[in-house]
Amino acid sequence: MIGQIRHLRPRDLRFLGLVAVTGLTISLYLDTGLRLAGQEGSGWRAIDLDSLTQKIESGELREREAEWYHTATEEETKGLGGTP
Amino acid sequence: MSAVTCELCPRSCVIPEGGSGDCRIRVNLDGKLRATTYGRPSAIHIDPMEKKPLYHFHPGASVFSIATAGCNLHCLNCQNWQLSQRGGEEMEQVYRADPPDLVKAAKQEGCKAIAYTYSDPIVFYEYVYDSGELAHREGMANVFVTAGYINRKPLRHLCGVLDAANVDIKAFDDGFYRRVNGATLQPVLDGLVTMREEGVWIEVTNLLIPTLNDDLAMIRAMVRWIRDELGEGTPLHFSRFHPEYRMRNLPPTPARTLDRARKEAMDAGLKFVYVGNVMGHEGGSTYCPTDGTLLIGRAGFWITENNLTADGRCPTCNEKIPGVWQ
Repeated sequence: MIGQIRHLRPRDLRFLGLVAVTGLTISLYLDTGLRLAGQEGSGWRAIDLDSLTQKIESGELREREAEWYHTATEEETKGLGGTP
Repeated sequence: MSAVTCELCPRSCVIPEGGSGDCRIRVNLDGKLRATTYGRPSAIHIDPMEKKPLYHFHPGASVFSIATAGCNLHCLNCQNWQLSQRGGEEMEQVYRADPPDLVKAAKQEGCKAIAYTYSDPIVFYEYVYDSGELAHREGMANVFVTAGYINRKPLRHLCGVLDAANVDIKAFDDGFYRRVNGATLQPVLDGLVTMREEGVWIEVTNLLIPTLNDDLAMIRAMVRWIRDELGEGTPLHFSRFHPEYRMRNLPPTPARTLDRARKEAMDAGLKFVYVGNVMGHEGGSTYCPTDGTLLIGRAGFWITENNLTADGRCPTCNEKIPGVWQ
């Protein structure tokens, strides 16, 4: 093994570096997704609130109060994981 | 933190401030649940009634069809996923069409009805209700094209403005609903019964996906349920699957599978069983269940001949054909 490493050429090292960077990028991407999924629970989703607020202010979306909801009880909020 | 619990669909999402429900468009802002796509559709088209599909409801009429972003189901084979699996803030195209504007536009286009369709209109419930009330005042009908995953109480209230609905039964199997649609079967069946009780004209669609829900025993069980709970005159549409979204690994449904399902349903006693998404199939036309007279001939979404009498009877034997014809 050590013998093989000694024989690595700069070209091989660059390739291994590229593989490592790609692996790291994929790991970070998956980690971000998992963190977001970890925040969500009880059926809710994290959204791009800044974008939503901007679109509501510009009139492109609305903040019309919905029907069929109630303020969550203490029992119901137990299932909530994290905040957006 | 002032969280809210949405009571609209069986998910009962508990939503913290700044978050949305599973549907992506019902958002908790300042402790109040907001319908963010109210009056803001992202799809507007004029379709023939047959495209919904509704074959026994004002045949050939033009329907003003709208949808906003969002959906409370997440079907792996969704055909409108660019619309349904996104929130309002993610859409490039949003039209400003509050209920009065919508109804005015539909009337100007000479449409007989407004269809709430494409994504699942359950999630833009308030927009449907307010537009539906206005449409009725203007003499137009309201058509709901849905997967029917809604709680009974809000549905019963909504039925007050609905005239017809095409409801998907994705499969007669709860496991299928959980795996493929991210939902459950029973609320859909409850919803269908509620619609029947409230007098909404119902047609049912069942998309047959090869190997997943094309088992004849499952189809038989579904057909018997429809016959017993909704009535033998309830039109059933077996629709052909096309590979889409996250289900591109399966082929389109073979025509013989659709034929077998249709025969099974007719043998079980359903009188009007159709085959959809197959151009030129004889199962796209309506026949008299008594004497086999061709009543309405169709090629795709287009009517080639209509032999029904003005009051919806077979011209040969005078049998009354269930539906809303005028």
